[in-house]
Amino acid sequence: MEVVFAYKGYTGKYLRVDLTRGKIVELPLREEWARYYIGGSGMAARILYDEVTPEVEPLSPENLLIFATGPITGTVYPPSGRYCVVTRSPLTGIWGESHSGGYFGPELKYAGYDLVVIQGRSEKPVYLAIDEGRAELRSAEGLWGRTTAETTDMIEEEFGDPSVRVACIGKAGERLVKFACIINDRARAAGRTGVGAVMGSKRLKAVAVRGSGDIEVADFDRTWELAEEAHERYTRGEWGKASHDALYRFGTPGLVAWENEIGRLPTKGHSTGVFEHADDIGPDRFEREFIVHRRSCMNCRIQCKKVSHVRSGPYAGTLSEGPEYETIVALGSNCLVSDFPAIMRANLLCNLHGMDTISCGGTVSFAMECFERGVLTEQELGMPLRWGDGDAMVRLVEMVASREGIGDVLAEGVREAARRIGKGSERWAIHVKGLEVSGQDGRAHQSVGLTHAISVIGGAHLRALSSLDELDYRETIAKRYGEEKAKDIGDRLSTKYKGMLIKDVEDLYAVVDSLITCKYGTMWPPAFYFDDYARILPAVTGIREFSRVEEVRAAAERIVNLKRAFNARLGLDRKDDTLPERFLKEPMPDGPAKGMVVDLKPMLDEYYAERGWDIETGLQYRETLEGLGLVDVAEDLAKYGRVAFKKRP
Amino acid sequence: MPYVFCDLEKCTGCRTCELVCSGVHEKVFNPKKSRIRVVRREPAIDVALTCRQCADPPCMRACPSGAIRRTKAGVVEVDVARCIGCSLCVEACPFGAISIIEGKAAKCDLCGGDPACVRLCMPEALRLIEPGQVAAEKRLAIAQAVRPRSLLR
Repeated sequence: MEVVFAYKGYTGKYLRVDLTRGKIVELPLREEWARYYIGGSGMAARILYDEVTPEVEPLSPENLLIFATGPITGTVYPPSGRYCVVTRSPLTGIWGESHSGGYFGPELKYAGYDLVVIQGRSEKPVYLAIDEGRAELRSAEGLWGRTTAETTDMIEEEFGDPSVRVACIGKAGERLVKFACIINDRARAAGRTGVGAVMGSKRLKAVAVRGSGDIEVADFDRTWELAEEAHERYTRGEWGKASHDALYRFGTPGLVAWENEIGRLPTKGHSTGVFEHADDIGPDRFEREFIVHRRSCMNCRIQCKKVSHVRSGPYAGTLSEGPEYETIVALGSNCLVSDFPAIMRANLLCNLHGMDTISCGGTVSFAMECFERGVLTEQELGMPLRWGDGDAMVRLVEMVASREGIGDVLAEGVREAARRIGKGSERWAIHVKGLEVSGQDGRAHQSVGLTHAISVIGGAHLRALSSLDELDYRETIAKRYGEEKAKDIGDRLSTKYKGMLIKDVEDLYAVVDSLITCKYGTMWPPAFYFDDYARILPAVTGIREFSRVEEVRAAAERIVNLKRAFNARLGLDRKDDTLPERFLKEPMPDGPAKGMVVDLKPMLDEYYAERGWDIETGLQYRETLEGLGLVDVAEDLAKYGRVAFKKRP
Repeated sequence: MPYVFCDLEKCTGCRTCELVCSGVHEKVFNPKKSRIRVVRREPAIDVALTCRQCADPPCMRACPSGAIRRTKAGVVEVDVARCIGCSLCVEACPFGAISIIEGKAAKCDLCGGDPACVRLCMPEALRLIEPGQVAAEKRLAIAQAVRPRSLLR
């Protein structure tokens, strides 16, 4: 008998796939997961915390690889095209999470499932085919070694249908490059934390989904009304115009010009925030010479995707979606490379071989600094590797994907590469908790220093980046936090109230990452907030409790605390919530933030206090966890000695 | 007769139209129950296709049960009470604009004159326009590309 799930928006079913035994089981979704963790990365957090205990190594068969959607995914409420992948990261050894857009997430729900939880290791390469509520493992021996584009083509051919949605790895994932990603819909990446390497370790080449199932919502008319209202907000008025003129027109590359202006464009291994040749990799040139088509993820109103084409020069014929801002920084300014076509070629290679462009670029820039400082020689590298050499950058990207020569060391990520190379190179290995730092600089935008330091996955922006101070949205700040704090919060170079600010933003993103919707609309423009989600969540799911903003906020805090607990159990605490010395000790040499370093301590203290965590150790208070209903987690952490007590015995 | 026109230069393939259409007509979200469908071809083509409200509709001629008719307003519509779900209309339509949904032929009915897909198309690729207007815009585009000799001197 078909069991009907209590809440709408969800399919109410998920898959457990055991690759070791070749078994697939369909299970009903648990109601309390929806009620307490919403969906997406929140739901996945509950599963990962329960099952992936500290002795489970990231690349062992026991580690889980979870594909997750949320209740909004695949509905009409924009944007609804996203999914996430959650695992214990092989790059950082801690909480691993990566999100991606495109069409794969919604299709998984149309095919009948909210989540796919994968464990084990197949003897031979396989792929998981989920077709109209039927799932099976198929041989991927003919796919192994293929690029993500070839893999997608071949699976489409096998299905006889170009509308099947494929998420797959390239050779980087197969060869366990620690920052390998998963590529879906040919050019969308679940990029960060090496989720592709976990997939490779399981010998799972791809997940292909196709479905024609309905997604029902609890209150259709209300959902429709809110979707129309959201459409208006995304496309009209002040935010709509700003978004159209920036993200629709240029995509994320539009940011290159602005970040350079505020001195926050990571350049030359994060040594500075100003790039002399920013115009060469900037939005005007991008539009004038390279954009051939504008694209979007499923049901989006921002539509930031661009197809770019290099028409002449050594990289002529390079045709791909992207590159995104983060890619242009990582493989461009941060390597001092102003050769835009070379960046596009490297972006295409990263997509074809399945590598995170942020970590890959961070690794290339680390190697360049090693060469310039005489720590890696031309012999060791197989070529000279000067700052700004786009051709060498492209060559090195290939070497990393294939683990060829020095690429084998660099494929471990900068933290481990620096450990192996030695000679003081850890000083310019720019990472937090083992994750290469994304395209921001806390010296020019203090709160982003805190964002990077506390991010649960390591040096990343998407768990807690604030644009409120980045662009000084004074009115929004005043509305959310009070007029009296608005001036300080709006000041990028001030640390005042930034602990509170980043805690609030991190909570907001915990909801966004669980619904799942996009950071565009919340991160920028900051048009959607908790009250919006307290309207759409009950309309879609029928979970009445979520009509109270405090309940949505409580779910957010619960999710943030659960992920934090996963890391705490692995031994992480305040000592790990820090930044590379480059941000803390080397003053910004140029631009509007000249002379600044990140003043992390006051922000971190305030952040812990706001969170209800122990300021001294960064560990969670037992009372904080219990107050959020995480009693079992508090008990578990106590067993590991990883919880703080307010009153010491 | 106006129809939902898709500007190839503007369509981004976001498939909002599909979700909106399934919502309006079926009260669920399911692109495969949409009367408008988006086709993507790599590397750089996206296009939404739906009924063109033909002047001499092949689907209407093919229908053996007289279920496809033109309304007074000119919209080509399916009478679901008469439809036997035989798919002859699907075969007859040169544009793939008809689907069988739950045993009945389903096609664009222009939402009674204010198509939701058009209203919610972010890049404004979809418009409800008359063929005459399409032609007029093409003429204008050509005229704009021609540079008067007097300006060249």
